[in-house]
Parts: sequence; C-alpha cells; structure tokens
Amino acid sequence: MIDLIIFLILLALGYGFGRLAESRHYTSIREREKELNVIPAIASRIPPHGRPDFDIHLVTGSVVISIDYFKRFIAGLRNLLGGRISAYETLLDRARREALLRMKAEARDLGAEMVFNIKLETASIHKGRGGSIGSVEVLAYGTAFIPHQTS
Amino acid sequence: MVRHLFLIRRPDHPSMEYTNPELPEGINTSKQNPLKEFAILTLGMVGVLFISLTLLILLVDYFADKIPFDWERSLPVTRFLDSKNSEKLPLYLEQVSQQVIQSLDLPESMTISVHYVNSDTVNAFATLGGHIVLYRGLLEKLGYEDELSMVIAHEVAHIKYRHPILSASHGVVTGLVLSFIGLSSGDGVVSDLLGSVGMATMIKYSRDYEYQADSDAVESLIRIYGHADGAMGLFNIFDSAKGDIGTVEFLSTHPLTKNRITQVGTMIEGRNILNKNDMIPLPQAFKDGLKQP
Repeated sequence: MIDLIIFLILLALGYGFGRLAESRHYTSIREREKELNVIPAIASRIPPHGRPDFDIHLVTGSVVISIDYFKRFIAGLRNLLGGRISAYETLLDRARREALLRMKAEARDLGAEMVFNIKLETASIHKGRGGSIGSVEVLAYGTAFIPHQTS
Repeated sequence: MVRHLFLIRRPDHPSMEYTNPELPEGINTSKQNPLKEFAILTLGMVGVLFISLTLLILLVDYFADKIPFDWERSLPVTRFLDSKNSEKLPLYLEQVSQQVIQSLDLPESMTISVHYVNSDTVNAFATLGGHIVLYRGLLEKLGYEDELSMVIAHEVAHIKYRHPILSASHGVVTGLVLSFIGLSSGDGVVSDLLGSVGMATMIKYSRDYEYQADSDAVESLIRIYGHADGAMGLFNIFDSAKGDIGTVEFLSTHPLTKNRITQVGTMIEGRNILNKNDMIPLPQAFKDGLKQP
C-alpha cells in the first residue's frame, strides 16, 4: 500500500516537473535558435572555396539531460512491448538542439561566420541500471570559420 | 524565411548553395499526450498479466490438487516445525482440536498436527503437511471455547481444501512468470509494478480461501455447539485488535473483518440455530497455563 502511494507520488512528480522542465527548455531552445540562425551550421565536409581569409577553430557544445521518472516508467513498459519510445524522443530532440546551440554560441563568441563539418555524438549515462534514471549526453562539434579581424 | 547565405564555387563543382531555413517544430517528437500512452500501456500490461496469471494458476491448481497428502507431509517443513516448537500441546487444546477435527469430516489419509508456540505473536496459521500453529498471543485474547474452536476449525479447513499446497504452487508460478518479465524489462520500477500485480492476483486466491475456511469453520461450530456465535466473537476480537482503517481489501491477504462478518451473517441467516449467550468460557486453568513463561 505504502509502496503504491510512493510510486504514484513519484510518477506524478515526474510527470509534473518533467513537463514543466520540457516546455521551459523548448521555449528557450526556440528563442536561441532564432537568435543564432545567423550562424549556419553545415554538415558538409567541403569548406567554401575561394575565400581564404578565414581562421578555423574547433567549437563544441555538450549537454546532459535526464529523463524523468514518469517517462522512464513508460519507456520501461515499452521495452516489453516494443514500438516508438516517444518518451525518449523529446529527450533526444532537446539534447541535440541544445548541444548545437551551445556549439553555435561558442562560435558566435569567437566571431565565426559559420560552422562547417558539424558532427553529433550521443552517449547514454546509467545504461538501464536498475533503479537509476537514464540520462543522455549529446556532444556537437564542428569547425568554425572566423573571418580575419585585420581590416 | 529562407535566407541565401553564400555561394560556393569550385572548379569541380558547378555550384553549391547553402540556405538556413527555420525547421518546422515537432518532426522528431510525438505529439501524443504521454498520459494516454501511460494509461494504455499500464492498463494493458496489468490486465494481460492478471488474466494470464489467473489462467496459469487455474492450470496449476488442477495439478496441485493431485499431489498426494503423504508427499506433502514428507516436506522439510515438518522437521522445521518439530524442532522449533518443542512446547508440549496443552491437554485442553488437544481435546478441543480433536473435537473440531472430527466435526470437519476430513479425508481418511489427512492427519492434522496441532502446534502451540509460546510467543506474543497474535496469529495462527496452517501450513504444508497438515500442520496448524497456534500462538499464545492469539489464544490469550480469546474468552470462549467457541472462539478457540473457530480458530482451529478455520485452520483445519485450510488443510482440508489443500490451501497451503495450492498457495505454494501459486507462489512458484507467479514468481517464475514475474522473474522472466522482470529480466526482460530490465527496469526496476516496471518489475516492481508487475510484481504488485502478481501479488494482487495471488492474494485474491488467498482471500477466497479465507472465506472458504470461514464458511467451513462456521458449519463446524454449528455442528458442535448448535450456533456460530464463536465466529462473531472471534471477528470482534480481530476488529478491536487492529481494525480495518486504512486497509484496502484487494491489497491484503485476508478479507476485511467486516466482510467476513457479513459472509458469516448471510450463512447463518434463516438457519434455525440456538440463541446467543450460551458460549462456553475457556477453563481458568487453561488461561492460567498460557501465562506461564
């Protein structure tokens, strides 16, 4: 009985705070994406030709986001039945966009005009270990092209 | 808004054009409310598990019933009880037990061993091999022989219907199923929830058994004393001992006392049985004997 109550409270807390954190994060992501849209992040390996007046610099952005109790529970049930783990979709979406934003922010601070050859790396933390909440790290990195400041 | 940022021209590439469009929201995520998914998944899993466990238990019951009582008696539980309860059964308990056992029409091969444990625990139970254990803590709370007979008859009825071996097989089946699911889900919380469902399935049977044992015990009381006041007396003792406040029946192994009273009430209703207030008090010598350390 007590176990059931604790379980329900944890679920409700996870749901409430998880949703709140997610919607806040999305709001902030959208704002900053608009702001940083001036810096294109391009996956191409081919750098722009004919404009040699760039300094190049490695820029990175990494983020660790945790799943909430409620989503983790749904994902656990999904493990048994299969199907889209939609609970993890927003988690990864947020992590990727946040990592790119942090990378772009670094590029902007360096005065870069664009970032080339961007890559994303994903690592899961606490791999399904019983009793632990799963979290994910996404690392975005790329080559920032910074125009010469000489002129 | 699509902004053309710059053009790249290389001798080997005609031209490459980079644009930086605003991406539409929600391509990578599901728009469904997670509560809906939660409800479908949870109710579905709980329902499927409950139904399949119930079917498995019914199947196992079919075979568990066929296990010979002799075989059950040879289980190690016998030796454990004998070594643990060296306390000699008081003569009076022996007499009442014999009287109750005779009134219950047990199959010939079935032998009952009554054990008395000198401990404060307020409990009595029946277990594999026809063993019944009575604790001093419970006996001390009783005032009448009728109530004592009710306790003994209830436990003997469990043995009569082979409840201990049935429950034990339910435990084995449920445990096996849950451990398989638990292993494949790989998630502590999910296994915990499914464990509770398994538990709820099992203890549903446990409650049915309590009702069945109560009903036989009441018949036994009527056969011996001509009325079933001992049952009500015993339930009143349970009621005052702990009460049902804050308990939900589907989460407990025993039915709520008020439901047991209702059942017994329905049983004796309309039966031509003797009036109240002729219960036999427990002999003072027996009560004094219980208090000895």
